[in-house]
Amino acid sequence: MARPTRTPHRLRGCLIASLAYLATTGLCVWLLRDVLSGAPSGLRAVVSLLPIIPIGFTIREVLHLVRDSDELQRRIDLESLATAALAVGLACLSLGLLVGADVVEISGKTVLNWVFPALSVTYLAARVRAQRRYR
Amino acid sequence: MNNRVRELRAANGWSQAELAERLDVSRQTVNAIETGKYDPSLPLAFAIARLFGEPIETLFNPDA
Repeated sequence: MARPTRTPHRLRGCLIASLAYLATTGLCVWLLRDVLSGAPSGLRAVVSLLPIIPIGFTIREVLHLVRDSDELQRRIDLESLATAALAVGLACLSLGLLVGADVVEISGKTVLNWVFPALSVTYLAARVRAQRRYR
Repeated sequence: MNNRVRELRAANGWSQAELAERLDVSRQTVNAIETGKYDPSLPLAFAIARLFGEPIETLFNPDA
């Protein structure tokens, strides 16, 4: 049998994990603000780190994706990861400059929470584009 | 880079999937090589040449 193409399965896993991350983040924000506002800091720390679980699953899927691939697929992954890292890095830098110039106002907390989802979505979009180029 | 992979695959009566299986790569990789959109690494190029029993320089033409 040819090298199994589990890419769609893995990408679906990454997407589901990213959505789970968003849901868990929303849940944690709600819990910390409305339910556990007076709770001990240890419990608050545990709840605040819950979104790391879906992120860990995403990282695992990406590692499997790269390990299962052949040389062309690895090239596509490398291009996509580079594109995503540069695009998100550039967006963060631009945002930082705009905040520094008092043009926009955004909290560092918000930016930090959105970095990983932005990386995941940009990676997926870049991957679809790169894949089309070699089709 | 021009190559004769499609021609030799057809001569052997193999589908892209069958060739991919023999080379342990994906069908997309075989298709990208055949259409010249992707130049294989040296180990893969040697594997293709070995599979077809042809010298590597008759399979791939970098001048084209």
